[in-house]
Amino acid sequence: MAIASLSAAARAESGKGASRANRREGRVPAIIYGHKRAPQSLTINAKELGRLLERIAAEATVIELNVDGATSRTLIREIQRHPFRKQILHVDFQELVAGEKVTVRIPIRLTGSSEGVRLAGGIMDQTLRDLEIRVDPALIPNHIDVDVGALTIGHSIHVSEISLAEGIEVLTDGDATVCVCAIPKAVVEATPAAVEGAAAEAPAEPELIRKAKPDDEEAVEEKK
Amino acid sequence: MLSPKRVKFRKMFKGRTKGLATRGAVVSFGHYGLQALEPGWVTSRQIEAARVALTRHIKRGGKVWIRIFPDKPITKKPAETRMGKGKGPPEGWVAVVKPGRILFELEGVTPEIAKKAMGLAQAKIGVKTKFVVREEAKTDEG
Repeated sequence: MAIASLSAAARAESGKGASRANRREGRVPAIIYGHKRAPQSLTINAKELGRLLERIAAEATVIELNVDGATSRTLIREIQRHPFRKQILHVDFQELVAGEKVTVRIPIRLTGSSEGVRLAGGIMDQTLRDLEIRVDPALIPNHIDVDVGALTIGHSIHVSEISLAEGIEVLTDGDATVCVCAIPKAVVEATPAAVEGAAAEAPAEPELIRKAKPDDEEAVEEKK
Repeated sequence: MLSPKRVKFRKMFKGRTKGLATRGAVVSFGHYGLQALEPGWVTSRQIEAARVALTRHIKRGGKVWIRIFPDKPITKKPAETRMGKGKGPPEGWVAVVKPGRILFELEGVTPEIAKKAMGLAQAKIGVKTKFVVREEAKTDEG
């Protein structure tokens, strides 16, 4: 289990305008909630948060959050980001309660080079990126390693085949596929004649779903 | 080229593109993505040209996902036609793209090949784009 620390300040004002004002001043709005405690609005220094998130696996790290002097052990539950800028808009923290298990999504990391990729030119297709587990906060793994070294072409690894440490309960369906060593598709290069043929048939219009009205000339033409 | 099989109406209003992409703005299937930075239209020809550039560069090594679909019909009046007499005939199809939208995704190739392939695809697309890497992949690699 990885532990990191972060400081935050309580926030009195809420809403769109106040949140935007906070972001302009380099603070990220956040909230802390949890079992047996009232939700509390916070702000965090954006630079400090950005630096922290660059070096930790956010979902799997217990964060000791210092809110105006009082420290609580938390997990990051959600990070809202700007669609394309490198800006964090809001963070959710969940306070951990001693002795209570938590449900977390842990990233799956494929290790080793698959036999199918090495020898047969297959493509490793990872279909499941994270695993939902229920675990004591003290036992949260940073990531789950899945060895794909022996995977041959056309074969896959399922959730039920992953071995985990004791005390970790997997909530993801056991039949779900983690990765497949797929057969590569042959790339068909279009010949100039085929390209011309495709261009000639391109203007064909799609079929209309609606029924053509008798006075609707466009639709009648379409039907013909 | 991509186009719908069945449509409800042959022609559509031009429309205005406001705001940011709230859906399809995260790399969901592959490891690397190409993300739009400005609003615009991406034509079915541009999508096809970018797809061909991507698949040719990565050869047999990876997998490509196309995250946009051109479902908006575009009309054009024939050349040397006087104005009026109604809207012109359908000419092609475009996908409406908002800033943040992931256009293509790639997997199964090295970061260098992915960046080069996406660079080739970028040159085929009519909106500003950037190369992006999946979030957790960054943490793992860093």
